[in-house]
Amino acid sequence: MKEQDPIVFVIDDDRMIRDGLQSLIRSVGLRVETFASAQDFLGAKRPDAPACLVLDVRMPGLSGLDLQLKLRDDGIPIPIIFITGHGDIPMSVRAMKEGAHEFLTKPVRGQDLLDSVQKALASDRALRRERREANEIRARFESLTPREKEVLELVVAGLLNKQIADQLGMSELTVKTHRAHVMEKTQAESLAHLVRMSERLKTATRKSGSTSS
Amino acid sequence: MGRKIDAPSGVRAVARYALALALVTLALSISLAFQNSIGNPFWFFFSAAVILSTWLGGTGPGWLAVIYSTLAVMYCFMPPLHSFAVTPRELPYFVTFVACEIGVTQLISWRRRTEDALRQARDELEVKVAERTIDLKNANEALLKQMDEQRRTEETLQATRAELARATRITTIGELTASIAHEVNQPLAAVVANADACVAWLARETPDLAEARTAAERATQGATRASEVIARIRSLITKATPEKSRVQINRVIEQTAALAERQAANNHVTIRLELSPDLPIVFGDSIQLQQVILNLVVNGIEAMTTVTDRPKMLVLRTEPESKCQIRVSVQDSGIGLTEEVKGRLFEPFFTTRAKGMGMGLSISRSIIEAHGGRLWAESNGSDGATFQFTVPSEDSPGI
Repeated sequence: MKEQDPIVFVIDDDRMIRDGLQSLIRSVGLRVETFASAQDFLGAKRPDAPACLVLDVRMPGLSGLDLQLKLRDDGIPIPIIFITGHGDIPMSVRAMKEGAHEFLTKPVRGQDLLDSVQKALASDRALRRERREANEIRARFESLTPREKEVLELVVAGLLNKQIADQLGMSELTVKTHRAHVMEKTQAESLAHLVRMSERLKTATRKSGSTSS
Repeated sequence: MGRKIDAPSGVRAVARYALALALVTLALSISLAFQNSIGNPFWFFFSAAVILSTWLGGTGPGWLAVIYSTLAVMYCFMPPLHSFAVTPRELPYFVTFVACEIGVTQLISWRRRTEDALRQARDELEVKVAERTIDLKNANEALLKQMDEQRRTEETLQATRAELARATRITTIGELTASIAHEVNQPLAAVVANADACVAWLARETPDLAEARTAAERATQGATRASEVIARIRSLITKATPEKSRVQINRVIEQTAALAERQAANNHVTIRLELSPDLPIVFGDSIQLQQVILNLVVNGIEAMTTVTDRPKMLVLRTEPESKCQIRVSVQDSGIGLTEEVKGRLFEPFFTTRAKGMGMGLSISRSIIEAHGGRLWAESNGSDGATFQFTVPSEDSPGI
């Protein structure tokens, strides 16, 4: 699946800064969309592509920090680069704790911003890939029958076929058949691969409930 | 009478009655001696005896004198002589005598009583007046104390108010600075972003001149906006005229000295006021003027912290400079001013102190100049410095 071109969202209430940042980011060949307020951004349709957010902290209406919390609560994982005129420490600490990607002070040096944007996009790309893979694995795992899932659990837990057969009250041969189906359906190349996929799925589920992609 | 007679009253009563008897006896002897040369002299002498007895002895002795005289006259002068009887022919004459004597003693004793009552009333009045005087004096003292307290409270209030105003001003400056910083920083951020964008468009393999031009134009706009912000702030500050009112500069100095008292005491500095009593009123902002004086006083105190070989003395002096100018000087015995320091003293951000901001004298000078005066410093040779300023008086031309 070919990914869409990455996109940078710029939110700043000052038109001149907004245009300047947009021009700057466009000059290195990136797609840019600008918004005058956090509300405008929330109301807009976002393309399914690697993205990052360049966000002014101090804005009328919903502030940059408010938007960060709202996006997190809505389960929209997007790296945020904060820009602030008065980078006071408590505020930056709060933003970083909530997972801000970067915190830059105004006036921002063009190169610093571009570097941060590239890093943020790379990180988002990686995250998206991870999420996509997790989703694929989940889809494969979900195609298993309930019986196969039971067998999978015990296989992954490290039990031998004989023990699984005992525990589930079936013959060792039946276990072998289920096991073969599991390996086939999950496209596992080896037992180790199966264990890894299972672990990853658990981690992803724990991390973010069910993230649609 | 009676009420005023006290402790040995028995002895005195006897003496009074004895006096009455003696007086009447004297009157009798004189009357007997003169009875042949003057006709009926007893009238006069006995009346005198009764009057004196009543006046000196009171009602009782008066009555005694009347009875004694009546008997004496009856016995010695009324026919039949040498008997206590009166012939019917002489009776009206005798009765008239007795009535006169009784009348006299009554009159005198009444007079005496009145006088006593009056004296007593006067004495009582005097006591009352004395009591009232003491009350009044106490009330007066309490009032004076209260007034003094009120004055002190007012002074404290004034000082607190001035301190508050100063604090407010400082806070306002802090807020203003933050606001100015944001207002100027915003267009500067736009300039930087657009200039960077311009450079980036030009740095491409095939430079995009149209984009670069747009970005450069936006950078120019941003710079223009920044300069507009600065112009706006400048006009804002220029317009902020001081709140002027009629100011007694001596009063301001007294208050300031009171404010600095503790700091002076902590640094073992004596503050001496040499205030000229007849200064014209100044038309100015008392809080700003106080700020200037306080600043000079604090500077003076701090200039003396390292002094050990002479008394630490800060003199605050006011004097008429000319017909419509007042001169205020603050003289310290501190480390003095080197030529280099003296030259740069009033520059903003110039300071000789580790913790100083270097704004005090610069702000002080602009305040004094806004009042139409001058602020300058002089060295007292090797012994401290004198900072002085002039301010025009209320009725100077141009105020």
